Amino acid sequence: MNASIESSQLKKRPNALLSNLKLRWSLFTRKYANLTGVKRILVRLVMYLLIMGLAFVFIFPFIYMITTSLMSDADLNSTSVAWLPTEIKFENYAIALQIMNISRYIKNSAFVTVIASVGHVLACSFVGYGFARFNFPLKKFLFAMVILAFIVPTQTIITPLYLTYSNMQWLDTYLPLTVPAFLGFGLRGALYIFLFRQFFLTVPKSLEEAARIDGCGFLMTFWRIVFPLAKATVVVALVLSVVWHWNDAYETGIYISKPSMAFLPPRLKAIVSAANALPEDQQAMMRQLGLDDGEDILNDAVVMAGAVIISAPVLLFFAFAQRQFMQGIERSGITGE
Amino acid sequence: MEKKKEISQNKKPQGTAKPQNKEKTQEKASVQKVQASNGKKKFKLDLHTRNSLKGLVFVSPYILGVLMFFIYPIIFSLRLSVSTDIKIVGMHMSGFSLSQYIRGFVVDVEFLPTFGAAIKDTMVNFPLIIVLSLIIAVLLNRDIKFRGLFRVIFFIPFLLGSGEVMQQLLNQGVDRAVLNIMDGRLIPYNVLMYFGSTITDAVQTILGVLVTVLWGCGVQILLFLSGLQSISPALYEAAKIDGATEWEIFWKVTIPMISPMMLLNLVYTLVDSFTNKSSELLTYVNKVGLKEFQYGSALGWIYFAFIGLLVAIVFAIMQRHIHTSEVEEVKKRERKHRVFTIEKAPKRTFE
Repeated sequence: MNASIESSQLKKRPNALLSNLKLRWSLFTRKYANLTGVKRILVRLVMYLLIMGLAFVFIFPFIYMITTSLMSDADLNSTSVAWLPTEIKFENYAIALQIMNISRYIKNSAFVTVIASVGHVLACSFVGYGFARFNFPLKKFLFAMVILAFIVPTQTIITPLYLTYSNMQWLDTYLPLTVPAFLGFGLRGALYIFLFRQFFLTVPKSLEEAARIDGCGFLMTFWRIVFPLAKATVVVALVLSVVWHWNDAYETGIYISKPSMAFLPPRLKAIVSAANALPEDQQAMMRQLGLDDGEDILNDAVVMAGAVIISAPVLLFFAFAQRQFMQGIERSGITGE
Repeated sequence: MEKKKEISQNKKPQGTAKPQNKEKTQEKASVQKVQASNGKKKFKLDLHTRNSLKGLVFVSPYILGVLMFFIYPIIFSLRLSVSTDIKIVGMHMSGFSLSQYIRGFVVDVEFLPTFGAAIKDTMVNFPLIIVLSLIIAVLLNRDIKFRGLFRVIFFIPFLLGSGEVMQQLLNQGVDRAVLNIMDGRLIPYNVLMYFGSTITDAVQTILGVLVTVLWGCGVQILLFLSGLQSISPALYEAAKIDGATEWEIFWKVTIPMISPMMLLNLVYTLVDSFTNKSSELLTYVNKVGLKEFQYGSALGWIYFAFIGLLVAIVFAIMQRHIHTSEVEEVKKRERKHRVFTIEKAPKRTFE
């Protein structure tokens, strides 16, 4: 032991100058570290400026989307109008609604989103609890599968999935989009299992023991005691799942080919292609929809109006769940350990 | 495999019926202390199996899912990618050759360039996303005014961003629009003029990349924020009392404590950047995959092998630095620096 210390000190000796410098540097920084008065205010100011600048960058797409959607054609083309439209034009929304045929598609989107995200929350909390509390054979293997399922992109296994679903006659139904969610798969299902497991690891066991002593079966214990405790995590998982399902166009586009069963977000492309069409075609289309009064033109403003309409349900949902959601994060609903 | 599942479900009613018996045996064991040794052993084993059965009940949906939607497709697609003959009707595959993989690397002129572009994009964006979202999360975690509002604002691009809407916004040049508003204010024109056009352009492109990257890191900010929230304030207080500066606290308390979240975030970002909707590689694989099943799944596997490799590297690097728990940390340190701990002690007292 002694010998090893000596040898290590010998090895270190050439670095003496360096370590001395390091020490001096740390003393120097410490001397100027405790900010007082003006300096402290300055630091705060810089911090606020930074965060406000970043917040501006983050909220910009949203503001841009809304202001542009209200612009008239003249406003769009003029260079002097950057922010506020000179006249507010709600007709853009009417045109966008007509072209997207919203009443037909919003039901489909809402149906699949609600079913699949509820499935995600129920199944992933259930499975996550199993992983957090119990020991069973193949546990490590199954948890490795969770992590693998998180890593393997859907694109790798899309072909066999497609073939399987077509053999099961599941194509052109909503089953391939909802059933996997109830089994802990689907759109990033592994992530939610992981989050729920992390949460349940932090819940003390004594509550469940108390419930057991009072004669509560283990499934009832989960449903009555443990699941309500995870409210914060449920909200986090629900928000993420709803947003991802609502915006997903990849799997939905592959499994669903019937136009009557299609979803809302891809409809934005209909407006874009209409806006990019030749003027004569545009005129014909407008006449077909009964919108032709000679003034309304399909332009970027209409596209943005469509974008606002498509993202409105998600934004509303988030506004509704926002308080719970942020609390969920603050109460360390998701912890990393 | 299906059978195993059935068995576990058959056992379920037994598991629920057992507790009464067990409580009886427990009472017996506590009364007859002398003869307990045999009975206790049996009881322990029973509890163990009962627990594992309960666990299996909880995990059973996942087992079913894993078989149906994961293991089966994975084996299927591996087999598909190396088979020479397929009949889609009966899902019959035969033969073995790696020609599809070779085709991806040698014959196909489109695949490798798009693959390379995807890798390049990821290499640029990946560190940027992690660093920027960490900075933002730290800022949002401080005691600032309107913190709740700011947190909502930083989440908005995620609500729009994971779908068609953001794509359209980018098509309309929203990233350029935000730069147009910023430039001239962030860096005065005179300064830019002084540097000449090449540097100005470079600054513009860098800012453009930064802006699009920032819009893509909503989830990462969220994960970091929740990691930061879970750090106990007592640690910060202790560090302050010991005279640590803010900078030191950040590196020696915050970073180690959020390292598990960092790992999750790294993996998530890596996977997400490759499966992003805007990635051209993905659209290419899709386009091919639904026409030629074999080639499509071979490309999918090349794609996955690469992501898997990167994730493995991240895991290998992070495993050494990850902070697990207090006890584990102390053990780890002792194992590593058995000699140096003695040597470093006097320095600390000197400081």
